[in-house]
Amino acid sequence: MQFFSGSTSTESSLLPAAPPGTGAGGPGNNAHMLYIFNRAGVCLLYREWNRPLRTLDPQQDHKLMFGLLFSLRSFTAKIDPTTAEKGNLGVPLLPGQGCSFYSFKTNTYQLNFMETPSGIKLILITHSRTGDQREALKYIYNLYVEYVVKNPLYVPGTPIQYVHSAFLNYYSVLKRVLLLIVSDN
Amino acid sequence: MYVWHFHCLFICCFNMLLVNLNWKDYGSAGRMDTNDSLRLASLWHSMHAISQQLSPTTGCNGIDLLRADTFDLHCFQSLTGTKFFVICEPSAPYMELLLKVIYELYTDYVLKNPFYEMEMPIRCELFDLNLSQVVQKDRVALLAR
Repeated sequence: MQFFSGSTSTESSLLPAAPPGTGAGGPGNNAHMLYIFNRAGVCLLYREWNRPLRTLDPQQDHKLMFGLLFSLRSFTAKIDPTTAEKGNLGVPLLPGQGCSFYSFKTNTYQLNFMETPSGIKLILITHSRTGDQREALKYIYNLYVEYVVKNPLYVPGTPIQYVHSAFLNYYSVLKRVLLLIVSDN
Repeated sequence: MYVWHFHCLFICCFNMLLVNLNWKDYGSAGRMDTNDSLRLASLWHSMHAISQQLSPTTGCNGIDLLRADTFDLHCFQSLTGTKFFVICEPSAPYMELLLKVIYELYTDYVLKNPFYEMEMPIRCELFDLNLSQVVQKDRVALLAR
């Protein structure tokens, strides 16, 4: 039984069905980077496809990204105009508590964010003009659940390693699916 | 007829270490006191700067639009680094236009006011007056400007 029901439902087949509307375009260059963090801030996965500019070394970059998301979540929970009483700024928020943002856009990129109830944060950085990527993020999360979490050799809380042949499936599927999904926009 | 409204407007001016904040509340459920709004504005300024660092390509100018579950936040940054941001309903139209109009009002009624001291809270009557007029107008009228 999936947590996210909807258009991305997986049957018992190995390859989950792609969301409707994908598969039309050729190789797209819309996705720049993908980060997956767990609850403690460990970067489980970092993939980049198109990143001409790197300002920091990878460790600093991951920390900065995690810190930015943490602060942004506190910010959006506090500045939310629709709820009357909110906690204090700076108090760590539980996943799902308070209003959370799902995307922000700058002139050069768009950052799409999704946090699951277990604290897994998925960040997809795409080209500035792509549409809403929430379905794509849900789909990637389903891939993570199917191929990583359900793998008995995977130790939770550690970075996803390209070690076992079972993971090959995950990476090839992920890459193909991302290209298909993101190029559709 | 489609009626939009937005919740509150922040004007943050950052100049080195000085923080000058003005905010106007147009009917949001969450009231904020001055300290909280100052904290939030400082937080926003830092995050705006961090987002420029995380850009995969050069030439990033910071966050323009932040979309959350219950609201959207549009931000406009002038050439001097003054940031205007407005909290509005999700997918409310013409917010960038509104921000540019507010910037014009700011330059006309605040900066050109000889009694206004720089980096101080804005207490210019004409600015407040025109601001309320602009935000109460129908969006059609705004479009026609």
